[in-house]
Amino acid sequence: MPPIPTRAITIAGFVVAVAAMIVLEVLAGRPGSRIPTVGQWLGYLMRPKIGRVLVLAGWWWLGWHYFAR
Amino acid sequence: MATDPAPARRDATARRPWRVARPRRPADFALLSLLGGGLAGYAWVAAAAAPFSRGALVAVLVPGALLGAIAVARPPERIPPPDHLDATGMSYWMICLAAFFEWEASAWRDSSWPWHPSFTNLIDPLLAPHLVKTLAILVWVLAGWALVRR
Repeated sequence: MPPIPTRAITIAGFVVAVAAMIVLEVLAGRPGSRIPTVGQWLGYLMRPKIGRVLVLAGWWWLGWHYFAR
Repeated sequence: MATDPAPARRDATARRPWRVARPRRPADFALLSLLGGGLAGYAWVAAAAAPFSRGALVAVLVPGALLGAIAVARPPERIPPPDHLDATGMSYWMICLAAFFEWEASAWRDSSWPWHPSFTNLIDPLLAPHLVKTLAILVWVLAGWALVRR
């Protein structure tokens, strides 16, 4: 059996991580769920002003990284 | 570890914030449609900018500056954040995020060679089509607005 290329393993790792986050978000939407949604934990991080600045800066950096570069 | 009580009505709204944003009058709907069209047009134009160009940088700076100014000068009605987060529930997110960033860091450490690409190397070809890039920019701007409302 030929060895699995490391590129496929790397891609699989990203797919698993992203899929897990999607599953978490779906599970978090159920009534009474203990898992916070993305919006809830980002909102929690944004309670202090510095958290708000950092999260918005991170959002902007993502846009710069993927759309301006 | 505090256990969450039965979710209050406010908590249900916080989980689904678009319930708060539904327009109630025809004029609101018309304004929303106009804004949506304008955003889509802006995303279309922004997606046409070449990578590493001044136009691409400006296209990203403008929404950032605008949303930053709104957040500082005239913040919208904010969705109330939770008073606390369940530690167990949050730990699941931390594990996924740590795994993702570790995977990305190892690819970056290996200089993102073809046999160990970074997430950016994988996403860039997917964003090459104009329509896809337009939709991605639109989603990015709407995500920024969602953050400003938090």
